[in-house]
This record gives sequence, structure tokens and C-alpha cells, in this order.
Amino acid sequence: MTTTQAPTRRRRATWVPYLPYLIPGVIAFVVIIGYPLAMNVYYSLFRWKGGLAPMRFYGLGNYADLLADEAFWTSFRNSISMIIAMVIIPTLIGLVLAAVLFDYLGRRFGPRVASVLRATYYLPQILPVAVAGVVWNWILNAQDGAINVLLTGLGVADPPDWLGNPDLAMPSVMLVLIWVQVGYPVVIFMAALQRVDPELYEAAELDGAGWWDRLKAITLPQIRPETFVVALTCTVAALKVFAPVYVLTRGGPEGTTLVPSYYSFLNFFDKSKVGYGAAVATVLTIVIIVVAGVILGLQARSERREREGR
Amino acid sequence: MKRSSRLGLVAAAASLALALTACSGGAAAPTAGSGGSAADEPKTLTIWDYESDESAMGQAWAKAVEIFKAKHPDVTVKQEAQTFEQIQKNAKIVLTGDSVPDVMEYNKGNATAGQLAAQGLITPLTDAAKQYGWDTKLAGSLSTTAKYDDKGLMGSGEWYGVPNYGEFVGVYYNKDLFAKYNLQVPTTLAEFTAVMDAFKAKGVTPLATAGAEYPLGQLWYELVLANADRSFVDGYQLFKSDVDFHGTQLTAGTTALQDWISKGYIDKNVAALKAEDMGVSFIKGKYPMMVSGSWWFGRLATDMKADWGMFTFPGNKLHPGSSGNLWVIPTKAKAPTLAKEFIDITLSPEVQNVLAEKGGLPVAGDASVITDAKVKDLTTNFQSILDQDGLAFYPDWPVPGYYDVIVAQLQGLANGNKDVNATLDGLGKAYAEGKDDLLNG
Repeated sequence: MTTTQAPTRRRRATWVPYLPYLIPGVIAFVVIIGYPLAMNVYYSLFRWKGGLAPMRFYGLGNYADLLADEAFWTSFRNSISMIIAMVIIPTLIGLVLAAVLFDYLGRRFGPRVASVLRATYYLPQILPVAVAGVVWNWILNAQDGAINVLLTGLGVADPPDWLGNPDLAMPSVMLVLIWVQVGYPVVIFMAALQRVDPELYEAAELDGAGWWDRLKAITLPQIRPETFVVALTCTVAALKVFAPVYVLTRGGPEGTTLVPSYYSFLNFFDKSKVGYGAAVATVLTIVIIVVAGVILGLQARSERREREGR
Repeated sequence: MKRSSRLGLVAAAASLALALTACSGGAAAPTAGSGGSAADEPKTLTIWDYESDESAMGQAWAKAVEIFKAKHPDVTVKQEAQTFEQIQKNAKIVLTGDSVPDVMEYNKGNATAGQLAAQGLITPLTDAAKQYGWDTKLAGSLSTTAKYDDKGLMGSGEWYGVPNYGEFVGVYYNKDLFAKYNLQVPTTLAEFTAVMDAFKAKGVTPLATAGAEYPLGQLWYELVLANADRSFVDGYQLFKSDVDFHGTQLTAGTTALQDWISKGYIDKNVAALKAEDMGVSFIKGKYPMMVSGSWWFGRLATDMKADWGMFTFPGNKLHPGSSGNLWVIPTKAKAPTLAKEFIDITLSPEVQNVLAEKGGLPVAGDASVITDAKVKDLTTNFQSILDQDGLAFYPDWPVPGYYDVIVAQLQGLANGNKDVNATLDGLGKAYAEGKDDLLNG
């Protein structure tokens, strides 16, 4: 079709015929992301109870109220704990586990053993959060949970109230999240390691490099792109985490495990303060976009450096 | 990332399912006026409810349908099962359309039936209430949840709904444990604490409760009500007067709860426990008593091995509790007259006695028809509360989102991180904000 066209017209038209192919994507984006996002921002400018109730324009009042809202600040402070539990610790553990599985266990006991173990670590990711949360609730139950029954059996007179004590609840939730999260970096990193040229390791080994040296000098630099992907996706997941908190603590005890998504949900549905909930959601969206932008920027810089370095 | 996309998929599938069921519900709903002279009586009555067929309500309403059919052999009755979630989430949208039921079950309270009433989506029933005598059958605190004003606040204004059954909070007790320690059922608050002291002296924690959900809040409300009268309830629940959170009722009640916590009447690590944990530990016989609602009755009847019974909270004239869900008639219903007649049938002795026999706590039943001893106890307890006009609703009802506030504040009290004053400050602040939102928002 294009071969019959004059060269001048053809140049202009190179991208035009492709436009219709974008339509499904654009429609999906507008319907699923664009429109809800715009409506959310719009709602955040009103005081509104939802449904057919009247909407009263409030300008940026909801955002001003947020600044003075202690629960709102708590929820964002807790996001830092979430990032520690869902990004930093799982990534570190994941790196070590992936390296051990790939480099040591895989070679010693064969790839079968390594992939069985990898699947085991990934299992918590496959389990529905609701199911895992209920099970963890049993394990952490203060009165007859598995851990406390064990502790009492060992002679601890006053075992801790894992999810009920405001000082312990957040660490307990973090523990569960680490357990949930750790399989994801393991799988990604192991896939990344397949890509690394085995000759690099052999050469390093001949030169007398130990396991730790090989990890530092070869593994880490080689899988840097995957590390960025893991950091980005997990950070976004950590910022918008909802289900584990909902299932484990409902933001309690005494509001100590409140996170932004749950706080927004609470305002939307329980308090019928739709405008206020929308404002929380909007702030959360902006924070996620900024954080994601920073991580992407860092990644781009690191890739540039790598290219220049070679 | 992985997880979020999966969640998205589930959400999409769920909403699709909702949309599909909503569509099919709508398609089946066209009512009345099909054939025959349009001005005549409609030939169809469409009923929506969300009680399971096996429940007391389900069985009683099946009886009501049977009676209705006998009276109107020419009318087709379409009874369509909905789910609570489906009606709760979609009512506001569905009721603005043309395919509406003639009569439907709906949740009582400001946030639910009140909203529909305020938005003109359901019909006022004041005239019917007078005509059929519902206003005398359902007196006092039972009718509070049936009436809503123009802001959708319950307690005054027109009748919008009709309850069939009720629920209340009392004390379940393990008869075997009472017998083991040779203790009697208490009838006053002093006797109650004496019983708890006796258990405590034997190393048994007397009360099962749970701090992460409603139970601790209901126990707190019981203790507040021990020091309160109807005018306090009217102020707290219906905003008829201003509530002083540092006044005698709330201070005394909260101090009593703190006292109970410090004396070890409840375990100190209850903050993260859910209602289910409480129920299971009571069923297992770990605790001799549990302060909770009549909704546990069926579960205990089937699951509990030890012998058990129930008494009303000793000494209280007022109890947490309310009418059950309401029958409402949508404004766009095509057969409102038939619907009113159906509602009246659900209040007839035949239907109410089915409720009674099945433990469904009828609002106008006759306890003497009940053969099961436990059901009889439950029903006579409820009747005695109704006779004293003693339903005081639930502590989280007054303002939206108050449930989470009560849970969080009482967790602080249970954990010993907050004293009575700080707890009351926290409760009062959220109450004042919510009330202002409701009245001026």
C-alpha cells in the first residue's frame, strides 16, 4: 500500500497509519487510569458524602486539613517502615539467597534443588494475601497463637502481644511483609544470573576470588538493571500497600499501623468523607510518581555511567 | 507489581460479576401492569431480600409469602434473593431506575436507610403505619430505627421502614463452669462483679472479649448504659441534647471498664483479637462468660459442647441492641399497596411465631409457642428488654466512621497507654467532628 505512494507523502505518513493501533491502548488508558485519576482529583476539591448527596466545593481545603491531620502523617511515616519491609530487606535477602541458590546450591546439588527452593521462596507471593493474613493472624494471636503457645511451652510467663501492642504491631506486620515479599527478588535475581556469562565467574575463580568477592565484583554489577526494577516495583507496592494491613491489623492497635491506602479507604467508605479520602489518594499518587521518577532517574544515570565507563 | 496486577484482575472480575448480576436482576424485575387493564391492581409483587433460606428470617418470610399467595391467588410473587453487599452498594443506583422491587429488605440506621429516605428513594409509610397499627405494635426504641427525618437521621420524622425482628447484647455464660465453681447467675452489677471476683480467685479470667473489633466497644457501652438513662441515649444517638464526654455517664462507664481491665476481668492482651477469637475461646470453654449479641446464638447452639445460657447484662435497664433490618418500599415501586399488605403479613402472629420458634427474636411474637428452652430464654430476655423499652442501639451508630475510633481508643485503654480522660477526649473529639459534619455538612 505504501509502495505506491510518492516518497514525499510516504515520509510524512510513516507514523500516521499506525495511529489506529494506538486507539485500544488509549481507550483503555483513559477509561481505566486517566478518567478515574481525573475524577479523583476533582472529588478531592469537594466535601462530599458520596452517592446522591450534594457536593460542596471546598477548594484545597481538604489538602489544608490533611496538613493538620495526625493520622495522615502517621500513615506516611509508616510508609517508610513499609519500604524497609518490602524493598530494602527483601532485596538484600533476595540478593544473598539468589546468589547462594545459583552459585552454590545450584552447582553443588544440581539445578533441580535450586529451582525447588526458588519455588518455595516464591510461594508466599502466590498465596492470596487474605489467606496468608488469616494464617499469620493465627500464628501471631496473643492468646493461642502458634508463637505464643511455643513461648509459653518454653517457660516464657508473659509472651508478647504481637499485633496488639502498639510498639510491636508494626515490626510484626513488617515481618509478615518480608516473608511475603522475599520470593519476588529471588526469582528476578536468579533469572538475571542466568544471563551472566559463566566465564566471568570461572576467570575470577582461577584468579582466586572467593564467593564473597565474586558476589561483589561480578554478581552485583551484572544484575544492577534487575535491582532497579525490583526496587522500583517494590517501592511502588510498598507505598500503596493495603491488603496485608487490612487483614492483619485494620490500621490498629491505636492507629499505629495505619498506611495511606487504608486511611484513604477508611475515609471513603467508613467515614463517608469521599472528598477527604480522594485528597489522601491524590497525595499518595503524587508521592508514588515522584518516588518512581527518582528511582527511574537514578537508573538512567547508572546506565549512562556504565556505558561511559566501558 | 505482580501482586497489584493480580489484585486488579480480581477487582475487574468482581466488578464484572457485579455488573452481570445487576443486569440480570434488572432484567427479571419488570413488574406489574403487564397485561390486563393498566389501572387495575398490579399482578406481580417483587420482593428483594438477603437472608439465607435456612435462617429464621428466611423461613418466616417464606411463610409470609405463602400467606400472601393464599390471599391473592391472582398475583404472581417474585421473591428474588440478593446479597447484602449487592443491595448495600447498588441500592442508590438501582432505585433511581425503573426496574425496582415493590418491597425490599434494607439495613437500618442513618448511614443506610436514612440516606435512601433523605434522597427520596423510598416511600414514607406513616399513613400505612397508622392504618395497619404498626405504630402500636412497634413502640418505643423499636420504632426509632423505622423513622427518619429529612436529613436521614433516625428517631423522628416519617416512617420509612418496618422491622420484623430484633437483636440485643447480653451475657452468654458457660453453665458447666458456673456449676464447677458453684456460682449463681447474677442479677445486679454488684453480684456480677462478685461472680467475676470468684472466677478470678480461682485463676480463671471471667470475660472473653476482643479489642480489634466490636466486642470491647459493646462492653464499654454496657458499662456506660449502667450509669445512663433514656435521655442520655437520645442525646448520644439522636442528638436531642449535647453529650458531655466528661459527664457522669461516660466517665463512670469508662472508669468502670478501666477498673475491669486492671482487675483482670478481661485478659490484658485483647487489643488485637477479633470477634471470632472471642467466640471461639468462649465456645472452647476457656472463659466462663462472653458479653455479646444475639447473633452468636445459632453458632453457640450448633458448636458449643458445654451447657450454656444467656442472661441480660445484670442491673442494666438499657442494653445495646436494635430492631433488625427493615422492609422498605421504593418510591418507584409499581405495587405499593400490595407491598404494604405484604409487610403487614410479616408482622402477623403466624409469621412472627415462625421467627420466635427459630430463635429469630420477633418484634411481636409470642414466647409461649417456643418449645426449645434456650430459644425461649433468648426470646423472653428480648421481650423483657422491649417491655422496658430498653434498646439503646450501638455505640458506633451516631456518626460515620465512629466504629474505628471506638476500637482505637479502647485499644489504648486496654493496653494501658491511655487513661480514662485521654480516652474520653479521643472519643469526644471524633464524635463532635462527626456530629458537626452530619448536622451542618
